[in-house]
Amino acid sequence: MKAELSPRLKTFLYGLMCVLLIPFVFPTWWMATSSVKPISDIFAFPPQLIPESYDWTTYSKVFELQPFVQQYWNSAYIAAVVTIGTMAVSSMAGYAFARIRFPFANTIFMIVLLGLLIPSEVTIVPLFRMFLKAGMVNTHWPLILVPIFGAPSVFATFVMRQFFVTLPAELEEAARVDGLGRFKIFRMIALPLAKPALASVAIFTFLHSWNLFLEPIVFLSSAEKFTLPQALTQYTDAYGGPMWNIQLAAATLTALPVLIVFIIAQKQFVEGLAHTGLKG
Amino acid sequence: MAEVTLSDVRKSYGAVDIIHGVDLGINDGEFVVLVGPSGCGKSTLLRMIAGLETISGGEVKIGGRVVNDLDPKDRDIAMVFQNYALYPHMTVATNMGFSLEHRGGGKAEIAERVKWAADILGLAPLLDRYPRQLSGGQRQRVAMGRAIVRNPQVFLFDEPLSNLDAKLRVVMRGEIKSLHQKLRTTTVYVTHDQVEAMTMADKIVVLNGGRVEQIGAPLDLYDRPANQFVAGFIGSPAMNFLTGMITAEGFAAPGILLPLPESAHKFRARKAIYGIRPEHFVLDSSGVPAEIVLVEPMGSETQVTMKLGETQITGVFRERVSLSPGATIRVRPDINTAHLFAADDGQRLN
Amino acid sequence: MAVAQDHASPEGRSSSPFWTIARRDSLAGFLFIAPQLVGIIVFVLIPLGLVFWYSLHEWNVLANTFTYTGAQNYQMLIEDSNLLEVLGATAVFSAGLVVFNLSLALLLAILLNQRLAGITIFRTLFFSPVVVSLVAWTIVWGFLLQKNGGINGMLQVLGIEGPNWLREETTAMISVIVVQVFKNVGLNMILFLAALQGVPNELYEAARVDGAPRFKQFRRITLPLISPTILLTSIITIVGSLQVFAQIAVLTQGGPGLSTTVLVYYLYQQAFQFHFFGYGSTLSILLFLIVAVLTFAQWQMRKRIVFYES
Repeated sequence: MKAELSPRLKTFLYGLMCVLLIPFVFPTWWMATSSVKPISDIFAFPPQLIPESYDWTTYSKVFELQPFVQQYWNSAYIAAVVTIGTMAVSSMAGYAFARIRFPFANTIFMIVLLGLLIPSEVTIVPLFRMFLKAGMVNTHWPLILVPIFGAPSVFATFVMRQFFVTLPAELEEAARVDGLGRFKIFRMIALPLAKPALASVAIFTFLHSWNLFLEPIVFLSSAEKFTLPQALTQYTDAYGGPMWNIQLAAATLTALPVLIVFIIAQKQFVEGLAHTGLKG
Repeated sequence: MAEVTLSDVRKSYGAVDIIHGVDLGINDGEFVVLVGPSGCGKSTLLRMIAGLETISGGEVKIGGRVVNDLDPKDRDIAMVFQNYALYPHMTVATNMGFSLEHRGGGKAEIAERVKWAADILGLAPLLDRYPRQLSGGQRQRVAMGRAIVRNPQVFLFDEPLSNLDAKLRVVMRGEIKSLHQKLRTTTVYVTHDQVEAMTMADKIVVLNGGRVEQIGAPLDLYDRPANQFVAGFIGSPAMNFLTGMITAEGFAAPGILLPLPESAHKFRARKAIYGIRPEHFVLDSSGVPAEIVLVEPMGSETQVTMKLGETQITGVFRERVSLSPGATIRVRPDINTAHLFAADDGQRLN
Repeated sequence: MAVAQDHASPEGRSSSPFWTIARRDSLAGFLFIAPQLVGIIVFVLIPLGLVFWYSLHEWNVLANTFTYTGAQNYQMLIEDSNLLEVLGATAVFSAGLVVFNLSLALLLAILLNQRLAGITIFRTLFFSPVVVSLVAWTIVWGFLLQKNGGINGMLQVLGIEGPNWLREETTAMISVIVVQVFKNVGLNMILFLAALQGVPNELYEAARVDGAPRFKQFRRITLPLISPTILLTSIITIVGSLQVFAQIAVLTQGGPGLSTTVLVYYLYQQAFQFHFFGYGSTLSILLFLIVAVLTFAQWQMRKRIVFYES
């Protein structure tokens, strides 16, 4: 066991951590509290750490100025589809690379890994032209197809492969003796056992899709198609300046649900992502 | 139930040959143990019978049917793996019934078979547990239950006891054997432990470097090993070997002259290896001198390391030898159990 | 399924079916990877080839013309007086980000690795910005960093006159780095924490028996043993830093001047704001080369600095 820390050292460490926490926690607090302050108070001096008066009309303006419900739905369903799709694609590919012997497996794996080297920003111009020709600009297809099948899913495939490599071969052999073919072994043995890896894939895929910004502003042009990150920046006044209180209210609505899910399931989040990192 | 026949079975990975043409007949209901040092190809051979490894040459027949190109599931075999390979996400009952589910068994029929197997193995109270909630011995039993539930033609065991502690291993050894006596299913059992092989087998196959060294009943192998490898592998503590020359007076090893059986005289003037098991020495004042190196009392017997001439050997005596290292005792090898092997190729002479 | 083929051929062998176990497995393998492989070809490899092709062309979206211009875009790249400044900003941003991110992540991981009550709560809070929507996080920081915003408000309470963070070149760069670091440092923090927890305790005990002081234990045991993680996180962070776009777009729009215009943002401006798609493609190639060279260099470094690999 580690050496016991002295009480003085303990106090110092707690103090240090509390100070360090400020830039991590305060912005979220400031966002939520400022969003309910009257516009006159949000730049008040001295800063009001706790609102002195409340103005909830900001929240109704969020929905009046833009089709915010629609935009919320866009972000949510795109992230859900991308997450499920990526889990399917990456678990299958990861399984095959880890477990099935087939010709050129290593070469193909190297080709797929190239995706890690080529961020989607590099290929954004040709992707734009491809989707333009396919009539898919100002639709959600680019935001769904590219993450599921393109570069972003490569990391997921890599994580799944690293997991399946550690799965005991005996389990699959037992399943073969028990009468299962490849697909059934994958579905009934490998996949149920891969839940921890799938959970981490789901978490980082969801966050990636939820945060996507460049792609939406390149591909989407009408407000009812927008996703949340893009929509948040659209609450501007006639001169293009941000309407801070409304932006903050919309930002709070965007951030809060994920934050709540995180706090409930923080163990799975943190350990899931640590797990992928270790293996990746 | 069925007989299993291997004819000239070969396995190679690229240019490297792992199994060099194995011929083996296993009778219906027989318990056959494949034994050998690690890397001898015993597991590979078993996995070829199971269909988990492809067969590079020759032929494997189960119940008269060539199975070379059949999937494991179509060979009507069941296998118990070294690490049990229980599905961690399924209960004991589901684990045991899993293969029947995939062979189109009805729910009631599966439940009945699982119950039958669980009763035989004493698993009935554990059926709703998950593998992680079981002890090593219980997991082992579930793995066996999964195998017998299907009533296959052949059982295959791949070093099933190697993960258990010494005490449990003895218990499970007995259970597997009595299970076989109950079910009389043809069984192929792989182990590196010659004690397991001796105690369990109807027939032992000693493998070394991808070749069969000897096939025979346990006591035949013990009494008349075909070559020096089998002689050294079967029996614990291992047989002693002295290198020397067969002469008219006896066997001349460095620094010592050992008595020879009558039958050995026809090999006179030949370089040979004299093999004698540790338990085949008797304390006898008319015997040859042996200088004690180490005395290890076991209670029931005493194991003595000693120098016979210039060769260090082991003797096991029922008597309690209370002598200290450096002392000299007189021992007599039982010449009727002495083994002679050719010095060049290690084949048995007498 | 061909079971029980007992009519053996003259040699006593039944004829092998075409779909042997190995062949069926190969087919399954190809089917399993097909979606990913096709996806990579369609959405990564072909576009990558097209980027080269486009960099030799000028594409006018409005007139819908696509004309071959040879090396003209590359000529432009060399002569682009902004480019040096953009690359400088990119380098400063990436370097600052990596150094600040990794050292903060390591510090936090070491703190979280102490045996203190309630440490999970701290871990959760330090990690929380990772799950806050990126643009929401950026917006609130933008709000805090206004001339009359929260940060300067606090400073004023302490009697300090704060700068206009996002409107001065140096502080703007510092701001975008800091905002990005606090957003994502939690990820590297837990990777480091996992690595620290993976160092066997006996090693520290042995070092203590040998009389090594704490900082020496850290330098001689901890650092070498977590060096694979340091390398991994630095690769991820560097490559990630070259992709940072939203923060710049929301906070500074690349300004003031070009001081925070990193390469990705410049690429976006050229291609999608000014519609120089050919030149944008040329910039894409530059970005690709930088990512490739950096990744390659870091894998090469692995041989030298990583003492231990699990």
